[in-house]
Amino acid sequence: MRRVLFGAAIAAMLVVANGRAAVQNAAADALAPLEAAVEAKPDDLRAANDYRMAVIQAGQYDRALAFFQKTVTAHPASANLHLNYGFEYVDKIPAAGSITQVILANNALGEFTKSIEIQPSWIALYTRGNSYLFWPRIFGRTQLGINDLEAALKMQRADKKHSYHVRVLIALGDGYWKLDDFAKATATWKDGLAEFPDNPALKARLSKQGDDLKVFFDGVYDANKRVDTSLKDLWSEQ
Amino acid sequence: MKRLVLVCAAVLAIVGPRGRAAENGPITFEEIAAKAGVSVRHHTRNFKGQGADVLHMFTSGGASAAVGDYDNDGFDDLFVTDSDEGTTSHLYHNNGNLTFTDVTAKAGVGGGNDASSIVADALWFDYDNDGWRDLLVVRFGTPLLYHNEHNGTFKNVTAQSGMTTFGNTIAAIAFDYDNDGRLDVLLGNYFKPQNLLDVSGIKKDPHVLPNDLDRAVNGGGVTLWHNLGNGRFEDATKKAGFAGHTGWTLDVGHGDFNNDGLQDVYLACDYGTDRIFFNNGDGTFRDATEKSIGFDTKKGMNVDVGDYDNDGWLDIYVTNITDEYMKECNMLWHNNADGTFTDLSRETGTCETLWGWSAKFGDYDNDGLLDLFVVNGLRSGSPDNYIPVLVNMITKPGVDFSDVNSWPEIGKMSWSGYQKKKLFRNVDGHTFKEISALAGVDNDRDGRGIAVSDFDNDGRLEFLQANADQTPLLYHNTSAGVGHWLELKLVGTRSNRDAIGARVTVKTPTKTMIREVDGGNGYAGQSSQRVHFGLGPDARITSVHIRWPSGTQQDVTVPVDKITTITEGAATASK
Repeated sequence: MRRVLFGAAIAAMLVVANGRAAVQNAAADALAPLEAAVEAKPDDLRAANDYRMAVIQAGQYDRALAFFQKTVTAHPASANLHLNYGFEYVDKIPAAGSITQVILANNALGEFTKSIEIQPSWIALYTRGNSYLFWPRIFGRTQLGINDLEAALKMQRADKKHSYHVRVLIALGDGYWKLDDFAKATATWKDGLAEFPDNPALKARLSKQGDDLKVFFDGVYDANKRVDTSLKDLWSEQ
Repeated sequence: MKRLVLVCAAVLAIVGPRGRAAENGPITFEEIAAKAGVSVRHHTRNFKGQGADVLHMFTSGGASAAVGDYDNDGFDDLFVTDSDEGTTSHLYHNNGNLTFTDVTAKAGVGGGNDASSIVADALWFDYDNDGWRDLLVVRFGTPLLYHNEHNGTFKNVTAQSGMTTFGNTIAAIAFDYDNDGRLDVLLGNYFKPQNLLDVSGIKKDPHVLPNDLDRAVNGGGVTLWHNLGNGRFEDATKKAGFAGHTGWTLDVGHGDFNNDGLQDVYLACDYGTDRIFFNNGDGTFRDATEKSIGFDTKKGMNVDVGDYDNDGWLDIYVTNITDEYMKECNMLWHNNADGTFTDLSRETGTCETLWGWSAKFGDYDNDGLLDLFVVNGLRSGSPDNYIPVLVNMITKPGVDFSDVNSWPEIGKMSWSGYQKKKLFRNVDGHTFKEISALAGVDNDRDGRGIAVSDFDNDGRLEFLQANADQTPLLYHNTSAGVGHWLELKLVGTRSNRDAIGARVTVKTPTKTMIREVDGGNGYAGQSSQRVHFGLGPDARITSVHIRWPSGTQQDVTVPVDKITTITEGAATASK
C-alpha cells in the first residue's frame, strides 16, 4: 500500500516537473521585453522588480545577474537599480549550494550598500538591515542590521504611515532577539502590534517563547527558503 | 535456482546472557577505551612548505578503525590507523574479555606513514579466499596489501597485487561486483592524484583544493580494482563506468539497492553531488544519480546502508554539514523500491548532526529496528573561530578556491569543534529519537570513523569511535532488558569466502528483517562482517533465508541468542 502511494507521488512529481518546465520556458520568453523596460528606465523600482519576479518564474538567475551587472555598469548612479541587483542575488540563494549562498548574500549586501551610498532611502535601509539578520551570529552583523533598521524606523516616523512600515518593526524586534535582548524585542513587536493591529507576523512572534521562538526563527531565517523580495507593496497600497 | 533447505546449528560456544523480551529499556554504554587497552592517540600529518597549515587541516580525516577477526578465534579484532610521519597504526587482538593486546609489532602491519604517504583508512578482507582475513591499508599514496600468514603475522604483497597506483585515497570497501567469487576493491579518492607531501610539486601546482565549494569536479574520483584471482588486481575503473566521476569522494558504500542480486554503489562526495551507480551485471555500472536521487551541492561525508523501516529494501544514510553557518541537513534516502529514493531525514528526525562524519546503523537495543550513531566535529581548538576568517576569503571577488595559497591559516582556531555526538534510537521504523546523553555517548571529540561489533559476543553491539588528533573511545553496550538476538558468521564457498554482499532475511512471528554482509560501509571504519539481528520479544524464528552472492539460496534453522556459523551450501555448519 505504502509503495503504491510512493509510486503515485512520484508520478505526480513527474507531471509537475514537466509542467514546471513549460512554465519556465514561457517565462524565459517574457524576459527580453522586461529587460528592455529596465534599460529604458533603470531607476524605476517597479520595472526592475517586475523583471525579477519573471526571472524567478523562469529560474534564469545567471542571465539576470549578468543583465544587472551590465546595466549597473551603464548606470552606476541608479540607486534603485543597485537595490534590485542586490535582490537578484537574494533571489538566487535558495537555488544555490550552501557555500554559494554565502557568496550571493555577501554580493547582495554590496549592492544594497551601493544603493544606500547613492540614496539612503527607507527601502534600501530596511532591505540591508533585514539582510544582515540572515547572517549567523558568528559573523557579528546583527548590530549592523539593527543600525539600518533603526535608521529606517526614524525615517518612517517622519513619514506618513504606510502598511509596509510594519516590516521594520518586525525585523527590528527580530534583531534584538538575535542579540538576546528578549525584552527589547518583545517591546518592539508590541509597539508594532499597537501600530498595526492584527499583524500575523507580529502575533506569531509574541505568542512564542524560548525554544519555540528559536525554532520559529530558524524557519524564518532559513537561507534555503525563498524570501519574498517583491516590492509591490510599495506601490499597491490603497 | 536450487533452494537448499538445511538445518545447521553448530554454535560458537561463546555466548552471553540470554536475551529477554524487549520492553524498550534505556540504551546505555560505558566508555572503556583505556581499560580495554586501545586508547592510543591519532595524529594528523604535519606538512612542510607552502600551505602546510591548510593541507594539515584538509587531511585530518584519517582517523579510522577496521574490525575483523584476523585469527579466526571467534572474536572481532581491531585495526586503528594513525597518520603522521613516524607514527604507526595499531593492530589490537581481542582477548575475549573486552580487553585487547597490541600485536602490531609481531603482525608487522603498523607502517605506512612515510615521507611520501599518509595512512588514511583500512579494510579487512580475504582477497585470496584462504579463510584468513587479509589487510588493506589505504593512503594518500599507494595502498598497502598485507597477506595473512595464518600465524599472527602478515606479509606485504602490494607489489605482486598490482595495486600500486598513486591516489589520495580516503575510503575503501571490498565487494564482489561481478559475483565471480572473488572480492574486488573500490577506493574513494579525495584530492586529485598529486602528492601533497611533495613540497616542490605543491609550489609548482598549488591548485590541489576544490575548484568550487558546491560543485567541485577536480577531486580524485574512485578507483575500482578487479580481483583476478591469482593474487593480482587490475584497474577496472574505466571499464566499469566510474572514470567519469571526478568528484571529491569521501566515502563509498555498497549494497543491493534494487534487489536484483547485484551489488550497487553509492558515493558520498564533499563539495558537490553524491552519486549512485547501479550494477548492470556484466561488469559495468550505470550512473543513475539524476533519476534516483537527483544532483546535490552538499558536503557528503558518509555512506551507510540498512533497511531502517524493515520494508525489505535497503536505505542509505549520508551525513552532510549542518551548523550555525551552514544548513545542509543529512540525507536518509528511503528506498522507494523502484530505483528511486526519497530523502526522509527531516521526517525521521535524523537531519541535523552538525559537522557529520561517520554514521552507522546498528540495532543497539535488539528490538529489530536499526538505530543510528553519528559522529561529528571538525576541529576543537582555541575559542577563536575560523569561520569568519574563512568567509572573508570565500567572499573575496575572483578568489581561486583551488589554490592552497588562497586559504587563510587556521593555526589553533576552532572550526565546528566540540560537537556532541548523536545516537538516534529507531522508535517505530519511521521516526528516530536522539538519546546520546541518556545513552552516555554524547562526547564532544573530533570524531571520524566508527567500527561496530559485538566485541564480547554477548549479542549486544559495541562500537569504537576513532577521533582526529585525539584518543579513540570504545563504548561497551551495557543496555539491560534488550531483546533476543541472532548473529550469523557466513562462510562463502562458491561465493567470496567473507560472504560480503550475502543477503540474510530473518522472519519472526512479528517481523521480517534483512541485512547484508558489510564490506566496509561507513566513513573511516569497517564494522563486523557478522550479521546481527535484534529480535525484540520474539524468542522464536520463523525462517532464516540466505541469498549468497553466487546466487545460491539457502534456508537454515538457527538458535536464538547465539552466534552461528553458516557455510554456503553445507548440510552441516562448520565450527
